[in-house]
Amino acid sequence: MAEIKFVDVGKSFGDNKIIEHMNLTIKDGSFTVLVGPSGCGKTTLLRMIAGIGPASSGQILLDGEDITDKAPGKRGVAMVFQNYAIYPTMTVRENIEFGLKNNHVPKEERSRLISEVALSVGLSELLDRKPSTLSGGQRQRIALARAMVKKPKVFLMDEPLSNLDAKLRVAMRTELIELYKKLQTTFVYVTHDQIEAMSMADDIVLLDHGKIQQEDAPEKIYYDPDNVFTAQFIGTPPMNIFSFGAHENRMGFRSERVTLSYQANKQAFFERKGSIITREMLGSETQYQIKIPEGSLMVKSLNEKFQVGETVYIQLQEEHLYFFDKEGLRIRDKKEIAECNAELEASHEA
Amino acid sequence: MTHDTERRLRRLPSDLIKFAVVLLFLFPFYWMLITSFKTYTEAIRFPPSLWPQHFNMTSYVTLLEKMNVLRYMKNTLIVTLSCIAMEMVVLVPAAYAFAKYEFAGKSLMFSLVLVAFMIPTQVTFITVYIMMARARLLKTLLPQIIPFGANAFGIFLLRQAFMQIPEEIVESARLDNASESKIMLQVMLPMCKSTIVTIALFSFVSHWNNYFWPLVMTNSEAVQPLTIAMDKLKDVEVGIDWPLIMAGNIVLVAPILIVFIFASRKIISAFAYRGIK
Repeated sequence: MAEIKFVDVGKSFGDNKIIEHMNLTIKDGSFTVLVGPSGCGKTTLLRMIAGIGPASSGQILLDGEDITDKAPGKRGVAMVFQNYAIYPTMTVRENIEFGLKNNHVPKEERSRLISEVALSVGLSELLDRKPSTLSGGQRQRIALARAMVKKPKVFLMDEPLSNLDAKLRVAMRTELIELYKKLQTTFVYVTHDQIEAMSMADDIVLLDHGKIQQEDAPEKIYYDPDNVFTAQFIGTPPMNIFSFGAHENRMGFRSERVTLSYQANKQAFFERKGSIITREMLGSETQYQIKIPEGSLMVKSLNEKFQVGETVYIQLQEEHLYFFDKEGLRIRDKKEIAECNAELEASHEA
Repeated sequence: MTHDTERRLRRLPSDLIKFAVVLLFLFPFYWMLITSFKTYTEAIRFPPSLWPQHFNMTSYVTLLEKMNVLRYMKNTLIVTLSCIAMEMVVLVPAAYAFAKYEFAGKSLMFSLVLVAFMIPTQVTFITVYIMMARARLLKTLLPQIIPFGANAFGIFLLRQAFMQIPEEIVESARLDNASESKIMLQVMLPMCKSTIVTIALFSFVSHWNNYFWPLVMTNSEAVQPLTIAMDKLKDVEVGIDWPLIMAGNIVLVAPILIVFIFASRKIISAFAYRGIK
């Protein structure tokens, strides 16, 4: 059990500042996912916790203890790497045992721990095999077992599923969630995949250019984004965003909130006439790209009857509209939202 | 004509060329071997015979009687093995540092290694000789060992091999609380076994066959290696005893051939990196 705290942390590679003045608390026992586009600094943060890419400035606290300059092996953390980083010349057993040996765990204790952990990840039969004879999924399990056997205070995972094929990835995702529920330890998980982030996290930390864009539970991140970046990074397709009016404010809505209709509807709070440019049948739903006067937008609909080239009305309710200011920050003030609505209406009529 | 024979015919020219190349390389060894079993008269007969009339071991017996082959062999072995051992002690940590650490002056130091790699021994031997003479070491084996403690080529080759090992494996070992020497010896080194074998073998061959260096470093019979001894076999007033010289060469070359046969597979794989995907 451990709480991780970043206090005014900075990291630069030469003149290139990756992270500046980062303050972040990762809650004890939480499954926190660091997510963001490549180069956003998420892996850098993870490596700082591990101690394999030290911070250039600031402090990192683990359970209140300053670990900024502590050696990686003494921190009580374990890490699973994207390419597994298994020792190829050692057997599965030796791979799992290596960390225990270095921590001077007695022999009987070691073999007990190894068989225990091998059983829980399903490697019991393979303990004497070399990693090169095993599949990607099995190698992933070695990496997991190697981390688990040390009983760390914190599990760090750097895109552990991205080298697996799609089916295995989904299966391993479920297994990781189960593992987390069983261990109840702090997990810090890095991914660029927002679906992974949404489905696994207690807490999502969304990063861009070394800055935290939003830190919240998955539902909050999706339904209550703080800014345009969050609204567009999370969700497939991204939120539809248009700018309008003299203040260059922006409005946005989720593609699945749009109602499509051949008829205009007086009840609709927001309505535009448009034409269908593309249609993608995805199975359970159909995705349309529609051109309206403000630009083009994506609509996800359960209704597959609309065809390319047809003229349709898109309709939305008031609670499904989001407003952002010129800088991309969310407008939450009721009075300002009312002004936005009025301006939006006025710009349409003009 | 069946498809199979057609394919065989098409491959024939290339097979013939390969066969010719093999012959070209093997024939000197074959000639050395059969000459060592010939009598002196048969060895100098013209036209030469491709197979001895009868095998006789006289040359080998003469060789053992004429000189203390075992002592020379012992000198060569001590020199060769000590050189390899010393090189390994120096080159493994050096290659690890050059491959995985960042430190001030790293590229300058590495260029110095490369420069050392390019300077021929003929440039340095006089100074080294004077140093060894002043240290009164000329009657020992040390002048043949100490100057080869650092193997620049080996450092270069192992550094390349270490650099191919993903950084994550080192980091993972650090997270496993492994000391740096443990990472180097238990994680990295086993992954570069083929490169180590290659370096050791190259080094073995070059020290085993070294003629120039021991020739200039010592006059003392007691510390001369096998190569110098073989040269002495020529000092015969009546004429060169070819079977004897060939017998000596067989003794000189046989260990290298044996080592090479055992290590050849490792050498080939040293030049083809195989990691875990």
